[in-house]
Amino acid sequence: MNFIKKTAAASLALVLATTGMAQAETMILASPQVPEGFDGDALKAHTQNVVTQVYENLIGYGKMEVDGHTVLDPNDLRGHLAESWTTSEDGKTWVFKLKEGVMSPFGNELSAEDVAWGWNKSFNQKRTGNFIARVSNVASVEALSKYEVQFNLSAPSAIFLSALTLYVPGIYDTTEVKKHITDADPWALEWMQSNTAGFGAYHLESLRPDDQAVFVANPNYFGDKPFYDKVIYKEIPSEASRVTLLKAGQIQWIDRPSIQKVVDMQADDSVKVERATSRSVAAARMNPSCDVFSDVRVRQAFNYGVDKDALNTAVFAGQADIAKSIVSPIIAGSNQDYFSYDYDPEKAKALLAEAGYPDGIKEPVELLYSDAFWHQEPVAIQVAGMLKKIGLNVVPTRITSSEMRARAAPAVQDMCFFTWEDGPIVLDAVYAMYLMTHSKGVSNRAKYENNDLDVLIDAGRQELDTDKRMSLMNEAQKLWGADAPWILVSYPATFEAMAPNVSGWVYYPDEHERWRELRGD
Amino acid sequence: MTFQRFLLRRALMVIPLMIGVVFITFMLVRIGGLDPVGRLAGPTATQAEFDSIRNNLGLDQPLWKQFSIYLGNVVRGDLGESWLSNRSVLTDIKERAVISLELLFWGVGIGALVGVPVGLRAAFRPNGRFDQFTRVLSLFGFSIPTYWLALVMIFVFFYLLGWSPPAIGRMSMLVSPPDMITGSYVIDGLLTARWDAAWSAASQLILPVICLAIVSAAPIIKQTRAIAIEVLSSDTVRYAHACGLPERNVRKLVLRNSAVPILTYIGTEVTGLVGTMSLIEYVFAWGGLGQYGLNAIISGDFTAVQGYVLVLAVFSVLVFIVIDFVVYLIEPRSELS
Repeated sequence: MNFIKKTAAASLALVLATTGMAQAETMILASPQVPEGFDGDALKAHTQNVVTQVYENLIGYGKMEVDGHTVLDPNDLRGHLAESWTTSEDGKTWVFKLKEGVMSPFGNELSAEDVAWGWNKSFNQKRTGNFIARVSNVASVEALSKYEVQFNLSAPSAIFLSALTLYVPGIYDTTEVKKHITDADPWALEWMQSNTAGFGAYHLESLRPDDQAVFVANPNYFGDKPFYDKVIYKEIPSEASRVTLLKAGQIQWIDRPSIQKVVDMQADDSVKVERATSRSVAAARMNPSCDVFSDVRVRQAFNYGVDKDALNTAVFAGQADIAKSIVSPIIAGSNQDYFSYDYDPEKAKALLAEAGYPDGIKEPVELLYSDAFWHQEPVAIQVAGMLKKIGLNVVPTRITSSEMRARAAPAVQDMCFFTWEDGPIVLDAVYAMYLMTHSKGVSNRAKYENNDLDVLIDAGRQELDTDKRMSLMNEAQKLWGADAPWILVSYPATFEAMAPNVSGWVYYPDEHERWRELRGD
Repeated sequence: MTFQRFLLRRALMVIPLMIGVVFITFMLVRIGGLDPVGRLAGPTATQAEFDSIRNNLGLDQPLWKQFSIYLGNVVRGDLGESWLSNRSVLTDIKERAVISLELLFWGVGIGALVGVPVGLRAAFRPNGRFDQFTRVLSLFGFSIPTYWLALVMIFVFFYLLGWSPPAIGRMSMLVSPPDMITGSYVIDGLLTARWDAAWSAASQLILPVICLAIVSAAPIIKQTRAIAIEVLSSDTVRYAHACGLPERNVRKLVLRNSAVPILTYIGTEVTGLVGTMSLIEYVFAWGGLGQYGLNAIISGDFTAVQGYVLVLAVFSVLVFIVIDFVVYLIEPRSELS
């Protein structure tokens, strides 16, 4: 290792000499690619990984200890950029008082205008931020004074505060951003392709496409000073190279390793692997509007015909958690008792016979998959193999991810049977149920409709009493479990791999670490 | 034929070739299952957003119309904008071309410098020990997967032995790049007296260059040996032997008569190695044209894929023109054709 030591020492000495940053700490994070953009409303590859470091919001989660791990407490929502807030009696008007003296790296102070501008940008772009606004019933946002901003809701929303924990709609340093707007580009979207201006802990210092993006700590950050002064987001396309570099101590973090590499690294002392149960769920979804799946007994038979333990071993290397509810157990209100379809091929055959298929289903049933998630293909192949044993002619069929997304869009939803993964970005059972099971949920994707369920979820969306909401969602999960519209497979665990001396990682529902919380001492 | 007429004739021949390349690439990316719309739209997109993006990209137009617009733009020197990065494809390619050319130059250069003498020596003593050894060596170079070779080299020379720097691209992350003059960090470092940058860039080059040299040397050895054996059995050489010419002079004659086909083969090799380069750049995070093309293909960035393939086609034509010209200089009796 002589060469490495000499080069590293010489380089380090050079950096120290030229920058004078005697205490500077740098984290090198290796990723398959450099972010393609920095606008949280228009997510491109790896955008989300970095805007979460730059744009912070009004509300944050508190933390708690569970089994020796620090996790977010979804029931503890506290002010982050906001100091306090008040709400009207009807729950439709919220006024937030901003913390004073919150500064961007450009030296501009956070104002209510900044908050309103970011939300108006999202309304205008009609993309990710607009979706968040829609599900949390936000109709408009206006600045009342320099430090007071008002949110007007179309109806009370139980998930409104949780939505304000997200990076989008973003809060921008509009004093800086407005220097870059033009008549043709009133939201400075072109500038945001390669620049950032937030009030968060980091900001983009330089970008070399296909090579690296360098982030430096915001010197004016309102919170605790981050341990790492600089984060180099380095593009290392080959995963094998990323792992080798991590093992050799050349980098401190690699972005979302594959399950095979996780198994390899777990046995290696030179690497630390952290794990968290995911908020999302991998499943094979059945479309009740298709003839074959219109009978609930058929859907239940499909569920009994799939051995979820075997799937976990074969596809997820035993690292995932078997899913027993559409709501992940990391979300308050998840009930793991109502989806009890343990592997029972005989029961599956009996249900099929009851439904009029005593000899199984000979007509081919396509099980579509794409490459949007790595596990889609192996899950589809394994599920098809298992269902063949109970007389079902399931044919795994590959389509493109964009075709799958297009056919899963609310206006289409014409796929009868397909594998996918979805999860809520807000740790809230009502949000999760609305997103994936409500007839208007954008992640429903397979035309599942149950009026009774919709009524429960709609009531939950407007119910501000936590106990009542949880009770409603308990009932909703029971109803959905009995309907069995999905073959729930697992909650694919989230893994992060880092140098052994790195600490402070906490799982966030957007599945991205926060650099400001990491330490390397 | 004069050199000017030769160039003019080549230029005329290149036009239909380029139109063919543009047409085939354009059609292949569209029927090949690539679709960037899903990626651009994001996970929460509605059907209306999908339609809007498709409309903005012009993908809702008939194929012939899309092609005619693209061809018109290419004729004007506009390769379009990358749909993913929104950057000009031509600018992206120009920036990366130098990076890849530097690697290609050293890799194939060393491959040829090693491969040609080894191939010649093997040919002078066919079936001798050296010949048998080089045959095994070239078989190894032929059959070894480039991707695997690169990974093994990193593992051995960086991870186990610590002789080479980590595979993190063209320069250590702790050294800032020199001011850009040519685009090659080594040359720019030397020209601007940034010795740290030049040293770092040169040391980063070593492993990928060796990797490329191994891959390129194997077929050069094999081909050089075959060409030289054929020349050795030609009437010219037999006549030279019959006239009692000293062995040294005979070998010079063989070398001279083998030069043209060997050079032509190396030209073919250069263009053929572009695919291999993509894998080497990928493993070593090189950030060159090969990596750019590979990323574009994986992510369905149509305009970038089309630009990449078109530039490779132009590069191949240029290489063959240069080879023809060099052959003409070596052997003035040969026709420029």
